[in-house]
Amino acid sequence: MKDRRLVLLIAVAAVACSLAGWAEAKPWWMRGTDASESDFLPPDQAFRVTSRIDGDLLRVRWAIADGYYLYREKMAIQAESPDLVVSTASFPNGTTKTDPYLGTQQIFTQQVEATAAFSRSDYGAHPIQIKVTYQGCAEAGLCYPPITKVIFPTTGGPDTAGAAASAGVQAASPPAPEDSALPHRGATVAIVGGGLAFFLAGLLLRKGRHLASPV
Amino acid sequence: MKTAAAVAVAVLGALLGVWAGTRVHSNRQPAAGAAAQRVPVGAASPPTASDFTNDFSELPHAVVKIPEHMPDFTLSDRAGKPTPITTWAGKSLVLNFWATWCAPCRREIPLLKALSSEWAPHGVEVVGVAVDHREQVTAYANELKIAYPILVGEEDALDVAAKFGVDSPVFPFTVFTDRRGQVVTLYVGELHRAEANLIFLAVQNVNDNRLGLAEAQRTIVNGLRALRADASGSG
Repeated sequence: MKDRRLVLLIAVAAVACSLAGWAEAKPWWMRGTDASESDFLPPDQAFRVTSRIDGDLLRVRWAIADGYYLYREKMAIQAESPDLVVSTASFPNGTTKTDPYLGTQQIFTQQVEATAAFSRSDYGAHPIQIKVTYQGCAEAGLCYPPITKVIFPTTGGPDTAGAAASAGVQAASPPAPEDSALPHRGATVAIVGGGLAFFLAGLLLRKGRHLASPV
Repeated sequence: MKTAAAVAVAVLGALLGVWAGTRVHSNRQPAAGAAAQRVPVGAASPPTASDFTNDFSELPHAVVKIPEHMPDFTLSDRAGKPTPITTWAGKSLVLNFWATWCAPCRREIPLLKALSSEWAPHGVEVVGVAVDHREQVTAYANELKIAYPILVGEEDALDVAAKFGVDSPVFPFTVFTDRRGQVVTLYVGELHRAEANLIFLAVQNVNDNRLGLAEAQRTIVNGLRALRADASGSG
């Protein structure tokens, strides 16, 4: 009898876990009407900013999703940590975009890297923190408000082989926003729950075994 | 025998759970290396394949949680007078969130001006919500001779945008309500004439009890999808 209840419990737990996974996996048209996936990316997905220290230069790189762009004149790099002095950032030439309602602007698409010289008067007592500002839009016809982020540039890098600003960029991600882990919660529950169900099933099967004691 | 069957069901369920979970997980992780061939514009240094190990097309899109009813809020008007949204109670509203720094927002204002005068006799009121500095909004509104009411705010207006479920603020977006204050739809991005007419028709059908809310929402979704298909087919 106990066995049956245990089996039932496992079955219920397993089905619940399956549903947890399914609820997250189902397509947008099967989700509740109160939540609809839109056609636009959240700003942190549309524009990904990373930075690193390269000698006495700060390199800040924006990776821009397809169909999105950043306005040159809305981009800036400033010192945030105490005793850090950052010179005016240098940007490459962007492309010119003329909008009858906003005039002519320089924009960046795909990716852009800005450099800014920096100096410190604290001999490294504080970790370097910078404040980056940027604002962009999607070609589809929508814009994001100006974004300001405080980030820690990573130190070191693979510059010795002349591969300027290459492999280090991916490791230089800013601290992940707090809510970035949230979409995976259902998936994690499903995985852990599934594993737990296996464990319980294993225990149950083991319970039924009677090992002959050595004579 | 029954026990064995139940164990089998449990194991199958567990496998399904793990599969569903990992499937979600793999959907949410950008595919590696898929976008290594992007052409850089304005790059200061030559990009390498390692610069682009994330495929943006796999990223989750923003989710908008649209409220069922017009939320209660008060913002200042152009003259600085606090104005509750209930000022227009009993009317269908076209609530357009915009900002002066946003090109698509500026582009759609001539259309909104036209809609305001065309739809007013039908009990539909266009109200702008500018998430911006007051001086810039008033200067631009005067320049364009915008006659419809505009509410203005900065952080407070962003809070209002969040009440409509737009947590990652993006502009423009336009909320259409029926005369009972039910939110019929929320349109993100630049509004065009064909889309506006389609939504207006559905809202009027709800106002005149010819369509239920859910049916009107389906009509709008299908209509917008058809318009988009037409646009991509012809373009």
